Amino acid sequence: MSALDRALTIEDLKRIARRRVPKQFFDYIDSGAYTEGTYRANEDDFRKITFRQRVAVNLENRNLGSTILGQPVSLPIAIAPVGSTGMTDADGEIKAARAAEKFGIPFTLSTMGICSIEDIAENTTKPFWFQLYVMKDRDFIYRLIDRAKAAKCSALVLTMDLQILGQRHKDLRNGLTAPPRFTPKFVAEMMLKPGWAMRMLGTKRHTFRNIAGHVSDAVNLASLTEWTRTQFDLTLNWTDIAWIKKRFGGPVIVKGVLDKDDAQLAIDNGADAIVVSNHGGRQLDGAPSSIRVLPEIVDAVGHKTEVLMDGGIRSGQDLLKALALGAKGALVGRIMAFGLGAGGEAGVARALEIVRKETDTSMALMGERDIRNIGLHNIYSNDLERRQGY
Amino acid sequence: MTTLDNALTIGDLKTRARRRVPKQFFDYSESGSWTEQTFRANESDFADVLFRQRVAVDLRDRNLASTMLGQPVSLPLAVAPAAICGLQIANGEIHAARAAQKFGIPFSLSTMSICSIEQVADAVDAPFWFQVYVMRDKAFMKQLILRARAAGCSALILTMDLQLLGQRHVDIRNGMSAPPRITPAFLFELMRKPAWALGMLGATSRTFANVVGKATDVSDLTSLSSWIAEQFDLALTWKEIGWAKDLFQGPVIVKGILDVDDARQAVAHGADAIVVSNHGGRQLDGAPSSIRVLAEIAEAVGDKVEVLMDGGIRSGQDLLKAIALGARGAFIGRPILYGLGAGGEAGVSRALEIIRRETDTTMALLGERDIRNVGPHNIYSNGLDRRRGH
Repeated sequence: MSALDRALTIEDLKRIARRRVPKQFFDYIDSGAYTEGTYRANEDDFRKITFRQRVAVNLENRNLGSTILGQPVSLPIAIAPVGSTGMTDADGEIKAARAAEKFGIPFTLSTMGICSIEDIAENTTKPFWFQLYVMKDRDFIYRLIDRAKAAKCSALVLTMDLQILGQRHKDLRNGLTAPPRFTPKFVAEMMLKPGWAMRMLGTKRHTFRNIAGHVSDAVNLASLTEWTRTQFDLTLNWTDIAWIKKRFGGPVIVKGVLDKDDAQLAIDNGADAIVVSNHGGRQLDGAPSSIRVLPEIVDAVGHKTEVLMDGGIRSGQDLLKALALGAKGALVGRIMAFGLGAGGEAGVARALEIVRKETDTSMALMGERDIRNIGLHNIYSNDLERRQGY
Repeated sequence: MTTLDNALTIGDLKTRARRRVPKQFFDYSESGSWTEQTFRANESDFADVLFRQRVAVDLRDRNLASTMLGQPVSLPLAVAPAAICGLQIANGEIHAARAAQKFGIPFSLSTMSICSIEQVADAVDAPFWFQVYVMRDKAFMKQLILRARAAGCSALILTMDLQLLGQRHVDIRNGMSAPPRITPAFLFELMRKPAWALGMLGATSRTFANVVGKATDVSDLTSLSSWIAEQFDLALTWKEIGWAKDLFQGPVIVKGILDVDDARQAVAHGADAIVVSNHGGRQLDGAPSSIRVLAEIAEAVGDKVEVLMDGGIRSGQDLLKAIALGARGAFIGRPILYGLGAGGEAGVSRALEIIRRETDTTMALLGERDIRNVGPHNIYSNGLDRRRGH
């Protein structure tokens, strides 16, 4: 039995990934901004929500399938856009996209992916989603949107919560770059993690291929911090949704909404769906967890749009809690990344299978047969303090 | 070295059991499903319930005796139907049944016991209770109920919260099976725990004696999880209560109720008593603790049926809290298993004696002389958040 088969939880996959992935890239995934208070709260707050256990329900013929943005999904999750996924494992985005395709859920490619839009399109058969950061170089952004359209991406995920980068201490201490600099420390890491290094030697995809070769002045692209500081557009605002949507010609999902006023503004400006998100606790440290604000945002706009969420989901039980509190579906980033680090495409598949099994059994123990019926009636109590009237 | 005589708490017996019982069987009892959140909450939530201390009460002539289902008990306590008692120590069910009989409380035999209904009936004089799972093979289930009736069982416990198994990681990692597979790791355990092994050589039964040779279509009975997946009935509904009651011709206790609406349903369908239970935190991880939901269920149906509870009781103080919050009596499973592992019948007797003494002294310090008078007036505060309006 392989280590992957023995992994019973996402936490198990995380442990394996830590052993196999060079420190700077593992740390990049497993970190939040500043004190990591919000990063931790994203996970911890799920534990304050308890389920109603209902019994004596016929549990035959259970259904986990649903739809997100009208697209059928085998489980209401999508792979979140994660930067530098191709540094977690060689060709990481392609591997994750293939696992997602086989599992029957959308994969989202980050603008800051290592593999390009074209790489994913060539190596998969179903449409994926593309996540867009808006940069100062508008001609580049136009081309990026056109490329996503040409690749038949079925949704554009517009990130609104990263015009400037929340400081992640570990990345600075590790001197994170993509591709990595060959310091003595990194060479030592390579000797400890030869599988990663060998696989990385076998691919040509070592830098941000959505960007490299597509911008004229890609100075110091290796340093994410520097690139973000100089290139990301500080003037990004709600009115930008309209022209992006027009140019893309398909549904736009607005990601990074943590406030009900912002949720309303996103919808007023044309969002087809929103993602309740604090960027995995990587931006505004001290912000509430995603699961904590989810119900009030659903109350405010859930009747007008699909509300998705990300942040802190590490199990099928967490997914069920998010759905019960009103999310139409959830994005999972770290679940994918830990699986990928633990075992490439097979690792991502294992991660998704773990979550599916947890969801199926726990849904049954709640006395539900169909995931589309999960709702507030499945919650025993939500011990999270709701926002006070400030 | 803890001996039985200097064991002062259930925790002491647990320590001794851990040293004497092979890891896979000790772990089987000492685990919950998935993150074990509900398993832990069952114990830790008792600490949030505080007693009212009353003084200047004449404390002579105290009484701990009560009745459960009209049957007199020396303490309002019953031995819970724990599976595989007979692998904590050889003939474990018989040891525990004898200790319970001497102590004056009911013993419950699990369908998934090692010793059979008939083997236990032969070894004790007092009637015991029999727990049954609802299975697909209705002929086998009917036969089980009739066997319990023939053995003079005085109540039937119908378990409603296990149509499919909550995943307990530790059992999968340990490769738990009954009888155990003779692996090198298990042989090493036997060398470390020779008394267990010697006892087991003379055991009346080493596998599921209620089931072996009696149920059909069982491909691998040694594996609890595959047996459950193949045999347990997903289509279980409330109607099974009436069906079981008609066959058994005696009182039926419905176990696995954690919700007010389910409690009402159980009563409407003929339950003579209900057990507020989340299966010891072994099924729906994320469900509230039993003690947290007890009061609202007792309020809803306590005037119509006896409300019993299980989950997290490790002391006489815990028992008093359960009774104060509305339970007619409680089941204890793990304290019995620890007692069995620590010293067979004498160990169970010691566990029961510890709980009796704790109950007696603490009841007196509450200013009560009769356990039948313990109620909400003995609670200083119930620090548990009650369900909020979802």
